[in-house]
Amino acid sequence: MKYKDELIRSMKWLGEKDNTLFLGQATAFSGHAISGTLTEIPKDKLIELPVIEEVQMGLCTGLSLEGYVPISIYPRFNFMMLAINQLVNHIDKMKEMSRGMLVPKVIVRVAVGATKPIDGGSQHTQDFTESIKHMLTDTELIELHEPEDVFDAFVYSYNRNGSTVIVEWGDYYSEK
Amino acid sequence: MIKIPNHLEKQKEVTVTKEELISFETEVKERYESGEILAPVHLSKDNEDELIEIFQYVHPDDWVFSAWRNHYHALLHGFDRQQLMDDIVAGRSMATSSNVNKFYSSAIVGGIIPIALGTAMALKKKNSDNKVWCFIGDMTFETGVFHESYKYAKNFELPIQFVVEDNNLSVHTPTDAAWGVRQEVPEDVVYYRYENGYPHHGTGAWVNF
Repeated sequence: MKYKDELIRSMKWLGEKDNTLFLGQATAFSGHAISGTLTEIPKDKLIELPVIEEVQMGLCTGLSLEGYVPISIYPRFNFMMLAINQLVNHIDKMKEMSRGMLVPKVIVRVAVGATKPIDGGSQHTQDFTESIKHMLTDTELIELHEPEDVFDAFVYSYNRNGSTVIVEWGDYYSEK
Repeated sequence: MIKIPNHLEKQKEVTVTKEELISFETEVKERYESGEILAPVHLSKDNEDELIEIFQYVHPDDWVFSAWRNHYHALLHGFDRQQLMDDIVAGRSMATSSNVNKFYSSAIVGGIIPIALGTAMALKKKNSDNKVWCFIGDMTFETGVFHESYKYAKNFELPIQFVVEDNNLSVHTPTDAAWGVRQEVPEDVVYYRYENGYPHHGTGAWVNF
């Protein structure tokens, strides 16, 4: 299967779980490439949010404290930079700060913006993967470079006791 | 001065006394000054009456979110006194948390607010009778993240109750001087004004570790 098809399959699998929710801008409505991978998910699991990147990340953390597994969607790495506070200072530190009593399980989907056929430019296509890796201690980061990486990464993220950032590349949607 | 919105109903009688709260912070003060606590401590004093009154409205199964000055909130939400003291001595004064007591605190300004919002969303989705209490200071109240979260909570009728604890200070910065004009606190937010009997950090005494 192709890269995008594997993403759709993964989201369908996650969407079948009782405790998952999918949050972000252009989740219930179209708007970016990731929106097109959410087509197989029940509509009541798609929570369209305003443009509130930091609140979105924290809101997902709060949902997870009550047992939900939120999939927090950022269509471009540059946009997720506005949510770094919640990722680095809360999701990533909560387990340590609470002596393991509070362990948020949030799956963050973030894409490196596509450069082909249209190049979004410096505010839409940067890849912060290595930088983010260095900021995180408890949260795992997984890179999706090949179609065969995709499904297992989401299954692993759903099953692990902790949060995961999954990085995908917009260019692969058409290339692989 | 304390403002309790009319929509709130008392849930319980608070059994923790003012004297017990003061005694707890006094013990922290003494252990800090003796060099036993090798981490920052943020102590409360002179807001005991207000918090005891507010916690009559907090159900034991509600979530409580607090910030760096959280010892009183934790005790009033059912924390075991000795466990809390042990956490503080171990260096966790700014981050007391528990899944047993449904309590999370953080030393990042405004950081708890979106998390509290998400927990409130979860409670609503579960049709729970419980709610989320989010205690913030006056400078945090002025931040953008509060206003985004407050607006979202109000628009979607999420079960979250904000409490503004106003000492007009962020560390040593007067909030009114820094902002020029203070925002008006909405009627549905619990509010009280106080002057903390301790400094922002530490006890006011020089400690040689």
